[in-house]
Amino acid sequence: MINIIQKKLNKNIGSLIIGLSIIALLFTTFFSGCVQQQEGLPIVPIGRDSTSGTREFFWTFVMNKENFSASLLEKNSNGAVQQTVAQTPGAIGYVGLGYVDSTVKALTINNITASANTVLSKIYPISRDLYMFTKGEATGEAKEFIDYIQSTEGQAIVQEEGFVPLPNSVSYNSSGKTFSGTLTVSGSTTVLPIASKEATAFMNIYHGLTVTVTGGGSGAGITAVSSGTVNIGMSSRDLQSSESNLGLVKHVIAKDGIVIIVNPSNNYVDNLSLDQLKAIYKGEITNWKDLSK
Amino acid sequence: MTIKIRLPQKSILTKKFIQEKGMKTILFLSAISAIIVMFSIIIFLFRDAFPIFQRIGLVPFLTGMRWNPVGQPPLYGAFPLIIATLLVTLGAMVIAIPLSIGSAIFISEIATPKVKAIMKPAIELLAGIPSVVYGFFGLLVLTTWIQGIFTIPTGETWLAGSILLGIMAIPTITSVAEDAISSVPREYKEGSLAVGATRWQTISKVVVPSAMSGITAAIILGIGRAIGETMAVMMVCGNPTYGLIPSPITNIFTPVKTLTATLGIEMGEVASGSNHYYALFGLALILLIITLVVNILATVILGRLKERQKSSSKKKPLVSYEIGEKIKRTFYLIIGILLAGLILTAIGPLPTVFVLILIAIAYYLKKKISMKMKQRIAFSIISLTIITVIIILGIILAYIISNGIGALSWEFITTGPSNLGRSGGIFPSIIGTLYLVAGAIAMSLPLGVGAAIYLNEYTREGKITKIIRAGADLLNGTPSIVFGLFGFAFFVMYLKFGFSLLAGQITLAFMILPTIIRTTEEALKCVPSSLREGSYALGATKWQTIRRVVLPPAAPGILTGAILGIGRAAGETAPILFTAVVFSDFIPSSLFQPVNALPYHLFTLATSIPGSKQNQAGTALVLLLLVIGIYLIAILLRNRYRKTMKW
Repeated sequence: MINIIQKKLNKNIGSLIIGLSIIALLFTTFFSGCVQQQEGLPIVPIGRDSTSGTREFFWTFVMNKENFSASLLEKNSNGAVQQTVAQTPGAIGYVGLGYVDSTVKALTINNITASANTVLSKIYPISRDLYMFTKGEATGEAKEFIDYIQSTEGQAIVQEEGFVPLPNSVSYNSSGKTFSGTLTVSGSTTVLPIASKEATAFMNIYHGLTVTVTGGGSGAGITAVSSGTVNIGMSSRDLQSSESNLGLVKHVIAKDGIVIIVNPSNNYVDNLSLDQLKAIYKGEITNWKDLSK
Repeated sequence: MTIKIRLPQKSILTKKFIQEKGMKTILFLSAISAIIVMFSIIIFLFRDAFPIFQRIGLVPFLTGMRWNPVGQPPLYGAFPLIIATLLVTLGAMVIAIPLSIGSAIFISEIATPKVKAIMKPAIELLAGIPSVVYGFFGLLVLTTWIQGIFTIPTGETWLAGSILLGIMAIPTITSVAEDAISSVPREYKEGSLAVGATRWQTISKVVVPSAMSGITAAIILGIGRAIGETMAVMMVCGNPTYGLIPSPITNIFTPVKTLTATLGIEMGEVASGSNHYYALFGLALILLIITLVVNILATVILGRLKERQKSSSKKKPLVSYEIGEKIKRTFYLIIGILLAGLILTAIGPLPTVFVLILIAIAYYLKKKISMKMKQRIAFSIISLTIITVIIILGIILAYIISNGIGALSWEFITTGPSNLGRSGGIFPSIIGTLYLVAGAIAMSLPLGVGAAIYLNEYTREGKITKIIRAGADLLNGTPSIVFGLFGFAFFVMYLKFGFSLLAGQITLAFMILPTIIRTTEEALKCVPSSLREGSYALGATKWQTIRRVVLPPAAPGILTGAILGIGRAAGETAPILFTAVVFSDFIPSSLFQPVNALPYHLFTLATSIPGSKQNQAGTALVLLLLVIGIYLIAILLRNRYRKTMKW
């Protein structure tokens, strides 16, 4: 290969120079065209896909069911939103409480910081419930597992994972109970990290029992539990009208705040009002300089 | 001396007869399996897409300008999604066609035999890189570069999708085009060189035009692959929520949402039985129809090529030479204007004028410079294309290897993930991938080999073989995400398998079936008919001949096909996305449990688990090594087989 390139170099030095100079010219024109800087920083709104529970919630409570901006970019998980915001200077996104870390900057809404306390006391304006569904009333291992998650011990894990525990939980009592066999749980990727850890803890109490937790999405989880493929379906959204006749029973297992995040390099804002947030996601405000403090 | 002739007993005769008949029926059944699968895919897609056409009408569905299935009112406009699919594919072809045709010409005509012996398998090897690995690179590197270089708000754009798809299509187009160019008869070249043409004149005026149909087919196959690609596009195109038609239409910095990306994103969480669910199947049906049309076009063109090569009789051309030239010229003009528009939006008006002047000068100079100079320029441009290809692919491989090597350790491949895959290993995903692939190959190998034997040994070329081959070709061109949706509708929902290993295995088996049929057929064709005749002359039956005489020498070829199938099944994500996989660390103990697989593990880590960079790169590297390793075995095996098999 190197031989060939060398031969070619010797033979075609003239044409190579012509070719290279053409490429160089093209590149310089290319860059000179690109250097024209825009003023301010255009906003890149990032959202979740249309089937996500998080998006449905955001759309209902922030957007008042009005249409999103046509330039809203869709991601199919909280992590993807977080990652894109961390990577894109002008981006803004919404994620669950558990997904906020140092790679993104969380904004306050109406000057209220999102935290477990503000979500629980309902001061923080955008929060929601996370669910588990069973086919009919929960029985046996499924009931016990949900009871465990809703207990003080279970809710400690919820908090550990960055979500908001339910108020007034009672301590779990395992005395005199034995369970064996398998319990299958599947569904929402938002609930998945909670359920995985709960399952590990639950299996430590009942050694004969195997709990398998798998993802797939809220819709997939609801489908699976209603067809009897799994014992419990996880969901970050309530049932839709087309799913209301499946005979599913709803169990709230945790609460979650929706946090608005921007790129850490964004120095334009630290706080947004709900109206401003709505205007951004509607595409009425398109540049960060219009929001400058 | 008396010769005692021992006649076989009657019972043996009938037994043999029954065996023969039985074998033939079994083989026939496996031969029509490809068609059955194709039909059931169409039927099941249509079955689940029909309600949406019925409820909102086919025309509004196709021409609606907004895709908002969960809005109030819900809107099901597929038009922007279709346009985005076509635009991204168009952009990919603008990048892929010159680079791959250049590379193909270089490999087949310019390279020394030694270089050719390395380059050809290398390019084929690259065809095996799983699309999720490309997507991983695109998501983390390409979009950031695009965003930085062009100082645009987000790098997740049409341009990013086109570049990535272009790169992915290069190996496919190059290897098919190279085959076409290499199969131009030597006499053509020799004749041209003998009358005093330069090498470049021979290549540009004789070799490439004679291979034109093959090259066209290669391009169309590339287009088919690009249209149906899901994972990479989904990861880098941005996916504006309602679908977006760029404005102006040449604005390559617009985020777009393609048909495949919409399916990939929304299918997982949609409530089954809702209008939205049916609408997604409507999209899949549109996608299938687009790819079918593209593939039928390729088949027809290839068919015409074969016919033309067979019959030397001169047919009257459809259009006269003059009109043909005119059509050509208008075609070039349109492409020129389109390109100018593209450059205009990309870099502004002044540089465009500059580029146009440059082109004009080049056009003027073209008539002035000597043949030798022309050849030099042409050859260096062609060398430049293949160098570009090598550099691009080198960057991708280097990125993945350099980032992934740090994560690689014995623990990484032998332990399960912890903390949602941020730490720990990928053992369950490796096992899951092996389970999926093993099941898929166990189902598709007998079917595929049976079909190939039936096509090659039991029938003459005719209507039946044509239909079966067409079925296999169409199946081959069906986008992998369509297999995924079919698997979901049929196995997961209709047969109530649920998300399960079995559903994933069968879906993958269907996907790799055409590969196995095709490679086995090629292997069987290489066995000379004199061997068969010899066997018959000794009194062997048809099945005996096949089993004892034809299959053994064809075995390495069949094995190559199987290995290629394994490689493809191991790297694909879209077919198992809605049928088998879940992000978990558990290893299934029955066929009806879900699994985790390497490509899905990588996809989930890259898109959903922040702070898992190290393990993402590690998983990408393991997947890459696994698939490339499998392909390498296939290529080495085939080369060895080609060398040793001389009749």
